[in-house]
Amino acid sequence: MRLRVISPWAYLNWLVFPVLFAAVGLYVLSTPGAASSHVVYGVLGGGLIGYWSVAYLDGGNGIQDERWNGTLEQIFATPTPLWVILLGKICGGLLFGLLAFLPTAAFAYFGFHAVLPALDAGRFVISLGVLTLSFFCIALTLTPLFALWRWAFSMLNGFELGVYVLCGFMFPVAILAPWAQGVAGVLGPTWAVRALYASTLSEGPHDYASWWLATIGLSLAYLAGAYFLYSLVERRARMSGQLAMV
Amino acid sequence: MKRLVLEGQVFVRSTYLQYVALFQWANPQGYVAYKVLLPVTQILFFVELGVYATGRQNALYFALGNALQLTANAGIFGVIATVANERQYGTLPILLASPANRLVTFLSRAFVNVIDGIATVVIGLAVVVVIFGLNLQHANLLLLALCVVVISLTTAGLGLMFGSIGLVMRDAIIIANIVYYLLLIVCGINFPVSRLPGAVQVLSFALPLTRGVQAARDAAAGASLGQVGGLLAGELLVGLSWALAGYLLFRLLENWARRGGLQEAY
Repeated sequence: MRLRVISPWAYLNWLVFPVLFAAVGLYVLSTPGAASSHVVYGVLGGGLIGYWSVAYLDGGNGIQDERWNGTLEQIFATPTPLWVILLGKICGGLLFGLLAFLPTAAFAYFGFHAVLPALDAGRFVISLGVLTLSFFCIALTLTPLFALWRWAFSMLNGFELGVYVLCGFMFPVAILAPWAQGVAGVLGPTWAVRALYASTLSEGPHDYASWWLATIGLSLAYLAGAYFLYSLVERRARMSGQLAMV
Repeated sequence: MKRLVLEGQVFVRSTYLQYVALFQWANPQGYVAYKVLLPVTQILFFVELGVYATGRQNALYFALGNALQLTANAGIFGVIATVANERQYGTLPILLASPANRLVTFLSRAFVNVIDGIATVVIGLAVVVVIFGLNLQHANLLLLALCVVVISLTTAGLGLMFGSIGLVMRDAIIIANIVYYLLLIVCGINFPVSRLPGAVQVLSFALPLTRGVQAARDAAAGASLGQVGGLLAGELLVGLSWALAGYLLFRLLENWARRGGLQEAY
């Protein structure tokens, strides 16, 4: 957290990017003639984008920074397991990422007089908690890949907007092609985001229990995968000897 | 005449080194990530957002706008990175100590990125044609190509302006991120400029892309050069103004960086 407070990149991800995306979203979604329920996606969409960006980007950048600073080898050599070290980085990122909802909500309210029309506070908070769990599990699973392969971070960074599409951060996944909906279905955040938006709207299905369970189940599956991934990383990193290569 | 030839040689050599430097960091995976994956997903995201908000019939408006905005990927990110990377690799003091003509060195930073920007837009437009069925049967293709070249030049002009800040700022690439996404809001890429507040509209027309994208939309609809000539001339003027301002700032900050020893700060 202390590193993030002094990092301009962290502010870019939680403060600037979310507001810029929220601005585009709110302008497009409040086009004359568009349904009023669409605006909800503009209010929360920027925050979700910022939250995700901080959650996985800062975790990934944290590893890249260690590499650039020449401390990645020490991290691997220390007796503390890698996942414990990453746990601290990711939790700090998640806490910081939650801040992304503040500037976007303020921008939506003061700039567009947009609010969440039928907010069910209890279910909203639970959905946000479940979403946080899924971001946590994904970040924990992906981060060792960034340590092992330098290109993995570039690839995921390049695909970042694809994640926004597949997880339905700013519009419902239901408008995507059927094959894309299939891919979106195996991503944990997709279901939590669906629950989050449902908790702000009165119309549409409200099958919270199924959506929360789907997110939790998928997140636990990622964690199971992460267990094997960490073993692989520990082994491969020592065999290849490329940790210090920048 | 001899001096001109010498300056030309410096320009070619500097441009070649920019090319080598660019593709030194942009390894195949990096190039695919930032020049293929990012453009494709950017177009998909904003088109789907537009389709959700306004209906499938407007998909091409969003697709074409975002495909053209991709010039900024090279024009802004690429050009700013040419200065930012000099700092990161520790070669900025050497560059500033060299006797090479500053204007030539300055302009050579944009050349490869202009070409790279055109390549990125071609990828973007191919995506739009294949996925969204952009119908170019009635389009004035030569004029559309001219628009792409002009937009690539003008966004690089803006990139030169912000690239100069890299002389005194450690994280200049952050500026690139902000400018890149700001262009999505203020340049009529995803919604008409007329929907913005008055003061922001003034900013819109002082930035590259706004007129160029409008001209390209008209060219895609079959307009002639006579119909969009004014827009393209305005676009070029805006780009030239930013490049000139960037050069002046470059000279100003060069002295500032030298006095404060800032060029070695990383």
